[in-house]
Amino acid sequence: MKKWKQWHKITAIGVGLVALTGCNGNENNESASSSGDAIDDGSPVEFSIMANLHTAEVPDKKVQTLLEEATNTKLDIQWVPDSNYEERLNTAFATGSLPQAVYMKNQTTYEQFKDAIRDDQFWELGPYLDEFENLKNLKPEVVENTMVDGKMYALYQGRPLARSGLIYRKDWADNLGIDAPTNVEEFMEMARAFTEDDPDGNGKDDTFGLTDRNDLVYGAFKSVASWFGTPNGWGEQDGELLPEFMFDEYIDTLDYLKELHENGYMNQDFPVTSKPDQQALLKNGTAGMYVGSMGDVVSLYADASQNNPDLEFDVHNYVEGPDGEYNIWAIPGYGNLVIFPKSSVETEEELKGILSFYNQMMEPDNANLIFWGVEGEHYDVEEDQAVAIEDTQKTDREVKPYQSIEIGEAETNGRYLGKSNYEAKTKADELEIDNESYLVHDPTITLDSPTMQTHGERLQQIINDATYQYILGQTDLEGFEKAIETWKTQGGEDVINEINESYEQQ
Amino acid sequence: MESPLTVGKKQVLTKAERRNELWRKIKKNKWIYLMIAPGILYFFVYKYIPMYGLIIAFQDYKPYLGITGSEWVGFDHFRRLFADPDFWMIFRNTLVLFALQVCISFPVPIILALMLNELRNRAYQRTIQTVIYIPHFMSWVVIVSISYVMLTLDGGIINNILRSLQFDQINFLLNPDWFRPMYILQIIWREAGWGTIIFLAAIVAVDPQLYEAAKIDGANRIRQMWHITLPAIRSVIIVLLILKIGDVLELGFEHVYLLLNSSNREVAEIFDTYVYTAGLRQGQFSYSTAVGFFKGIVGLILVVFANWLAKKYGEEGIY
Repeated sequence: MKKWKQWHKITAIGVGLVALTGCNGNENNESASSSGDAIDDGSPVEFSIMANLHTAEVPDKKVQTLLEEATNTKLDIQWVPDSNYEERLNTAFATGSLPQAVYMKNQTTYEQFKDAIRDDQFWELGPYLDEFENLKNLKPEVVENTMVDGKMYALYQGRPLARSGLIYRKDWADNLGIDAPTNVEEFMEMARAFTEDDPDGNGKDDTFGLTDRNDLVYGAFKSVASWFGTPNGWGEQDGELLPEFMFDEYIDTLDYLKELHENGYMNQDFPVTSKPDQQALLKNGTAGMYVGSMGDVVSLYADASQNNPDLEFDVHNYVEGPDGEYNIWAIPGYGNLVIFPKSSVETEEELKGILSFYNQMMEPDNANLIFWGVEGEHYDVEEDQAVAIEDTQKTDREVKPYQSIEIGEAETNGRYLGKSNYEAKTKADELEIDNESYLVHDPTITLDSPTMQTHGERLQQIINDATYQYILGQTDLEGFEKAIETWKTQGGEDVINEINESYEQQ
Repeated sequence: MESPLTVGKKQVLTKAERRNELWRKIKKNKWIYLMIAPGILYFFVYKYIPMYGLIIAFQDYKPYLGITGSEWVGFDHFRRLFADPDFWMIFRNTLVLFALQVCISFPVPIILALMLNELRNRAYQRTIQTVIYIPHFMSWVVIVSISYVMLTLDGGIINNILRSLQFDQINFLLNPDWFRPMYILQIIWREAGWGTIIFLAAIVAVDPQLYEAAKIDGANRIRQMWHITLPAIRSVIIVLLILKIGDVLELGFEHVYLLLNSSNREVAEIFDTYVYTAGLRQGQFSYSTAVGFFKGIVGLILVVFANWLAKKYGEEGIY
């Protein structure tokens, strides 16, 4: 006991020491504050950016230097790997060390920041927009999708509204004499034939139809659900908005995929298959159908043709549901966004300096520079379109990372559209535009539900689990309905009410 | 000032005298105290000061308001945790996985160490030991990926073999019944070899004379193991077991998270994975902290209990 008492004292001394050395936790991060308004004295505007990096390495500085010269700025870009961006973003936010321009990565992360945006932690951009003639041109319908309580806080990075479709083995289809599927029965038939009719003609039972992965949105599920006429996220029924899984079409989709799975027409372990593994099955000639972003056909072909030069891919979008209609879900028109924290952008002058940089980024020359690189070095212009050089390693290292700081889209920032020498890619680009005639929008993009912000992940998980289990045959309709009840009691009921209240107020 | 009472021969000192006594001792051993100062400082700066952050478990913490500016909400986050219908499922899974670790993966290194100790050829023993502890240096991502490639229904080696032998294929990855065996086997595969190091070191320290005496008494090798080796390393085993119990709720987030999927959630969801989805991915720092706090308290109770139990049976314990 006595010994312990001594220790007690010693530790007390320790505490004293620590207290003396001082832990001033509340020192504000000295962010490189900009030298005010660039227009005044001609010295470059300095500011820091945090953006997500899609490549393995930090990019070469060449493009950045050219951009700095063209816009009279000095940029400090903090590249964070895309895979752990959310984590770093939350950490930077929690420790008060956000840079001056913060990219959000995607809509989901942006959703989480809405609370802080409402608490006036970020600059509202609406009032300044008129001073910048290029920023003014951002599409109003997309800007509206980024608004919080009807105010604009973010500059968006445009994305095609619907890129989903089917990528399939054209050579297999030709071998068996089948065409691209135009409705869900034909899709099922193609999956069957690719599984049972030996499409590669090697006499072995070593192929199947569809390769899918552990993603119900960007995998096959959501697109197939669209074909069946399922609403995008939420749909209206008797004047009330309800989540997609309460619609019969969602159950039809479940039954359809269950049949595909049960018959062995798709990979049996798809709920635990990662994207690289899913794509590997297509590249190595095991599977012949892939539902996802049609533009991926370029990279898929580049890899697949290395071990099988004879293989042919084709893309296809139009698949009718049982009701004879084709529908495809749409994203809100933006992928990434950039917002400006008040903690690091301290004055209106500073904000204007940064906005002026983004305004200049929407001039064709600068927009081309960050998207395509240097003309003659990274791309050539043919018929008013950009053709990237063959050396993808060079463009990945020097240009591709900068694409993630782009603002607007080709239409608004005037950059070249791409042209590919690979036929299937050109077709994919055309089909993306064709998809725009069949879009299904999510009516809740601008609606709010506090319960969703707190419990959204868990609630979604209940439904996702039940969805996978149904397709695998581990639960039935009764089990799925029970999951919906669980969803309701754990906060789903509140979500429905909040969403509908928010809907009526609009 | 009353005169010091004498009880027997021992003097009972007043407070002031005791303090002087302490200072005298500190002065006398100042170099020793100086030596432990860095250690104490380390624990203070890195283990105790961060505990200040536990405050946010009782707040609606908003990063830009800071700990001082955030609103107090009392035990709301704890209420939410205990009210979550999945709470008991998570609690049960956590305890079951912990029990499996203590009962199955904890004894394996001891058995391995005893077996290695029986090998006559030292070089051979060293080689085996090195080979079995290498997996410890692989990350869970690698180990789980290797398992996936071997066990998947879509061309996994194991299922291909089963198929060629005309057996039914086994759905290892998406069957809740297979989760626990997979979890434990992977732990054994990765950690068993590494765990033998400490036990072997303890075995080597046993006095050889004891074995000689036992041999003269006619004990065979099994008997020697039972009556000499095991009792000699008993205290090491107990200390390690208590430490292991302290980690009751640290089952390795990464490992479980990698194995977790929609089909096995009912047996695989544990506190760590729950915190990740419910807390961190939604940026709910306060709630995550509250769950972590709860875990810590449960761990503390278990360690104190295990230590008390060890002491009761006349063992050393950890304090």
